[in-house]
Amino acid sequence: MSRNRLYVLLSTACIAGYIWLAVNYHQQVVQSQALGICIFKRLTGIPCPSCGTTRSVIAIVKGNLNGGIYWNPFGFLITGILIISPLWIAYDLLTRNSTLQKAYLKAELLLKRKWVAIPLILLVILNWIWNISKGL
Amino acid sequence: MEAQKVDMFIMTNAKYFESYQINAIRERLIAMDDSRWAMISSIQLKDPTTSLIVSILAGHFGIDRFILGDTGLGIAKLLTCGGLGIWTIIDWFLIMGATREKNMQKIQQLLY
Repeated sequence: MSRNRLYVLLSTACIAGYIWLAVNYHQQVVQSQALGICIFKRLTGIPCPSCGTTRSVIAIVKGNLNGGIYWNPFGFLITGILIISPLWIAYDLLTRNSTLQKAYLKAELLLKRKWVAIPLILLVILNWIWNISKGL
Repeated sequence: MEAQKVDMFIMTNAKYFESYQINAIRERLIAMDDSRWAMISSIQLKDPTTSLIVSILAGHFGIDRFILGDTGLGIAKLLTCGGLGIWTIIDWFLIMGATREKNMQKIQQLLY
């Protein structure tokens, strides 16, 4: 992926993420029966692997780390990406560098290795099973 | 390379590429050395129709992007509920073109 395309995509995603968080921040939707935006959950009634991430990120922002783990451990990953990537993009743009793109391509290659990919897929599936049993 | 061989290749593989790329591929193949035919004919291309089916059935989890080799985009799609469902729908329309682009990148490594 080219440098500019990656940076535009990532910053758009970050902006969308911050807007989504701001919209949801004050809502106290905790009950599991509430219909979220997730199409998969609306169609099947089963939560998808990433259901609960919004609640998790909001819990983390409010300082409730246990809540973050409970709702969805993916929340920590998303929080990290939301905090780090704008800073990294700004650094790259200011120094006219492409360290983020290089890191991204390296990470993509690493993730394609069998011994990295299989455990991660298993973790995602385990998390999904946990999501279903929690009834998010 | 012989024009007949090349035309045979183009006929069987035309669906894997964008229509505007086919003429360029044909010309490059005709100008190419015969010794590379084995490599060209054994290339593994991805079927746009298959990726469309995967995108409709499992696009929500980013599986279509993983299959294309865009691991980063696949993870982004998986973590965000398919981009809140919007990206999933956009990708139903983009994924066939993206597959053809990937095929073009693959064959370009051999052509040039």
